[in-house]
Amino acid sequence: MTRNLSLLAGVVLVGLVVGTALVSFVWTPHDPLLVDASVRLLGPTGDFVFGTDKLGRDVASQLMVGARTTLYVGVVAVGIAALVGTPLGILAGMGARWLGELIMRVNDLVLAFPALLLAIMLGAVYGASTLTAMIAIGVATVPSFARIARAGTLQVMSTEYVLAARAGGRSRWWIALRHVLPNISGLVLVQSSVSFAIAVLAEAALSFLGFGTAPPTPSWGRMLQESQELLAVDPRLALVPGAAIALAVLGFNLLGDGLRDRFDPRLEVRR
Amino acid sequence: MLGRMRARWLAVAVAGALVLSGCSAGSTATVGGDDTLAVGFTAEPKNFDFTTTDGAAIPQALLYNVYEGLVKLDANAEIAPLLAESWTISPDRTVYDFHLRSGVTFSNGAPFTADDVKFSIDRVRTEWTISLKSTMDVVDHVEVVSPTHARVVLKEPSNSWLFAMTTRLGAMFDPSGVGDLANRPVGTGPYEVTDRRRGDSVVLSANPDYWGRQPAYPTVVLKYYSDATALNNALLSNGIDVISGVTAPDSVPQFEADTRFNVLQGTTNGEVVLAFNNRRAPLDDVRVRRALTLAIDREALLAAAWGGRGTLIGSMVPPTDPWYEDLSHSYPHDPERARRLLSEAGQQDLHLRLRIANLPYAMSAAQVVASDLGRIGVDVTIEPLDFPAVWLQQVFTDHDYDLSIVQHVEPRDITTFGDPGYYWGYDSPRVRELLRRADTGSPRQQVADMREVARTLSEDAAADWLFLFPNIVVAKKEVTGLVRNQVSESFDLTGLGRG
Repeated sequence: MTRNLSLLAGVVLVGLVVGTALVSFVWTPHDPLLVDASVRLLGPTGDFVFGTDKLGRDVASQLMVGARTTLYVGVVAVGIAALVGTPLGILAGMGARWLGELIMRVNDLVLAFPALLLAIMLGAVYGASTLTAMIAIGVATVPSFARIARAGTLQVMSTEYVLAARAGGRSRWWIALRHVLPNISGLVLVQSSVSFAIAVLAEAALSFLGFGTAPPTPSWGRMLQESQELLAVDPRLALVPGAAIALAVLGFNLLGDGLRDRFDPRLEVRR
Repeated sequence: MLGRMRARWLAVAVAGALVLSGCSAGSTATVGGDDTLAVGFTAEPKNFDFTTTDGAAIPQALLYNVYEGLVKLDANAEIAPLLAESWTISPDRTVYDFHLRSGVTFSNGAPFTADDVKFSIDRVRTEWTISLKSTMDVVDHVEVVSPTHARVVLKEPSNSWLFAMTTRLGAMFDPSGVGDLANRPVGTGPYEVTDRRRGDSVVLSANPDYWGRQPAYPTVVLKYYSDATALNNALLSNGIDVISGVTAPDSVPQFEADTRFNVLQGTTNGEVVLAFNNRRAPLDDVRVRRALTLAIDREALLAAAWGGRGTLIGSMVPPTDPWYEDLSHSYPHDPERARRLLSEAGQQDLHLRLRIANLPYAMSAAQVVASDLGRIGVDVTIEPLDFPAVWLQQVFTDHDYDLSIVQHVEPRDITTFGDPGYYWGYDSPRVRELLRRADTGSPRQQVADMREVARTLSEDAAADWLFLFPNIVVAKKEVTGLVRNQVSESFDLTGLGRG
C-alpha cells in the first residue's frame, strides 16, 4: 500500500510539473518577460494569481515557463549521465578486470568533484547559461549511473542464463544487449528519477548563484535569487518558487522510491 | 505525571531561550555603549594599502578618517582646507604654494612638515601602482620652502590636479610610517586603526594627539556584511547604528516607517551606464544609438530596477559637479521614433549581446532594457559575466560586447570619453580638445567646456546613462551629522555627532 502511495504521489507531482510546462507552451496568463513598473510588487489578485515581482512581471507566468527550464535541464543532464554512465558501468562489469578497475577509479575521482564547483568553473570560462549548467550537472551525475550499472551487471553476469549463453558461444555484445541491459533497465530508471530530483535542485542552486540560466529566461532558482533582497518586504516572492522547487524535488524523489519498490528484486524477496 | 510534564516544558523553554540568545549574541555584541559607533558596509577592504590596491573599500574606510591630505572635498563638493591652512596659485596656474597647519603629528608621533608633502607627492610616481596615479603625472616637482610652506610646480596648468589632491592620491604619509601600509596605516587623521578581524570588522579609535576637534565617537567599528539583507537585519536587530549605503532599495520603506531611524537619500558619483560599443557596427551609427536611447523608458526603468530611488541624468555628470545641467530629457521615451530611426539606418533585424556585470542593479536594469528594446524589434541576449574578473577581461579589456551595464563610481569620470582606447570605443576629436582645454584653461573656461562635453556626449548618444546611483544612509536617530550626498571617496566620520 505504502509503495503505491509514494508512487501515486510522485506521479501526481511530476505530472503537475510536466503538465504546467506543457501548458506554458500554448498559454500563460501574461507575458512572463513583460516588464511593467506600474504594477510592480503587487500581491495576489484576480489578474495576477501569485502577484508580480519587482520588475512588474507576472509571477504565475514565470513559474509556468520556469517549469520548462527545470524539466529541460533535468532531461538533458540525466540524459547525458545515463547515456554515458550506463555503458561505462556495463563495460566495467563485463570487460577485463583492469579495465573495470580503471573505469571505477576514474569514476570515484569524478564523484569526489562537486557538481556545483564544476558548473561554476564552466560558467566562468564559457559564460553562465542553461547549457553549461546542464552539461556540468550531467557530467557530475555520470558516476552514480556507472556504479549502479556496474553493480547490476555483475549480478546479471553471475546468473545461470548468462553462463549458459556464454557456454553457447554468444558474443559479449549479444549478452550485453540481450541479457544485461534489459535486466538493469529498472535500476537505471530508478536512478534517473532520483538524479532528476538532484538536477532540479542543482539547477536552482546554480541559477540562484548566478551561474545557471541567464536572465530573462524564467528559472525557479533565479526567481528565488531575485526575491532575496525583498525577503523582509515581500516573502511571497521567495515562497512561491521555493515551494515549486520543493514540490518538484519531492515529486521526483517519491517517483524514484515508488519505482524502486516495483523494480528492485531484493525488495520483492523480502516481502 | 504532571511534574514530569512541567519538567519537560521547562526543558523546552530553556532550550528555546538558549537558541534565541545564541541567535542574537552574534549581532548585538559589537555595540559597546554610547562611546562606540558601529557602521555597516557591504564591501570589505582587502588590506589597508590604497597605494597598490585598487577598489573603493579602502579609501572609504581610511580617507579623512585615518589619512588626511592638504585639501578635502566637503559635503557640498567644494575643495576645503585640511592640512593646508591656505594656498595660493600663481597667475599662470602652474605653481601652488601651500601654507601648512603647524602642530600636526602622525599617529606614530612624527611631526608633519613640508618634507612629508614632498615625500608623499613624489611617492605617488615612484611607489604607487593603482591606475588612478596617472593623474599626478602633471606634477613637475615639489619644493620645501620652509617646514610649513610647500610649493608644488606643475608642468602645465591643470584644474583636475587640485581636485585629485582631495582623493586618496593626496593622502599624506610619514617616511617612517610606510613600512607596512597593508596592515599598519599611519596618518594624521582623527582616528587610527586599532583592530581588524578579517571578514568581520575594522576598529578605529580616536587619536588622542589629533590636531583638530576630537571626534564625537571615541571608537568606531566598521562592520562588513556579505549582502544587503544581512546589512539591513544588522541595523534592525541593533547590531549596528548606521548603514553606510543601502543596496536593496525596496527595503528602504521599512526604515522610513520605523521611528527609530533617520533615512537620508542623496546622490553619488556612480552613474549606471548602458554602454554602447561605439567602434563596432551597428552601434558605430549614431542613428542606432539614438534609437536605442529613445526606446528605453528610463523613468520606468529606475522605478522597476531600483525602486524609483536614484536620479535621471542624461549624461556622465552627477548634480554635485560644477558643470552639471539636467540633460535627462534629451531623449524622451518614444518607441515610434526609435523604430523610424532604425529603419532609416537600415537595421530591421537587430540582434545585440548585452554583456553585464552579474550584480543586482545590472541584472535588474538589463531585463528592463531587454524588454524595452524588444518592443522596437531589437533582440537582446543578456549575458551576465562574473564581476569583476570576467567582465573586466572580456568587456573592459577585450571590448568584446555590443551593450553592457556597469556602474562607474569614480568622481569626474566623464574624462574617460576622451580616451579612444577606453571600452566605450568613443572617439571624438572635438571632445578630446574640449577636455584638454577644460583642464588647462581658467576655472570658468573649465565649467563652460565641461558642459559642452556633456552636451556633445548626449547628442552623440555615446552611451545611455540609465540613472545615477542613490546614496541611501540609514541611521539611528541619535546619530547626527551624516552627509546626504556621497561626493568624495571617503565615508567621512569626522562630522558625526550625538543627538
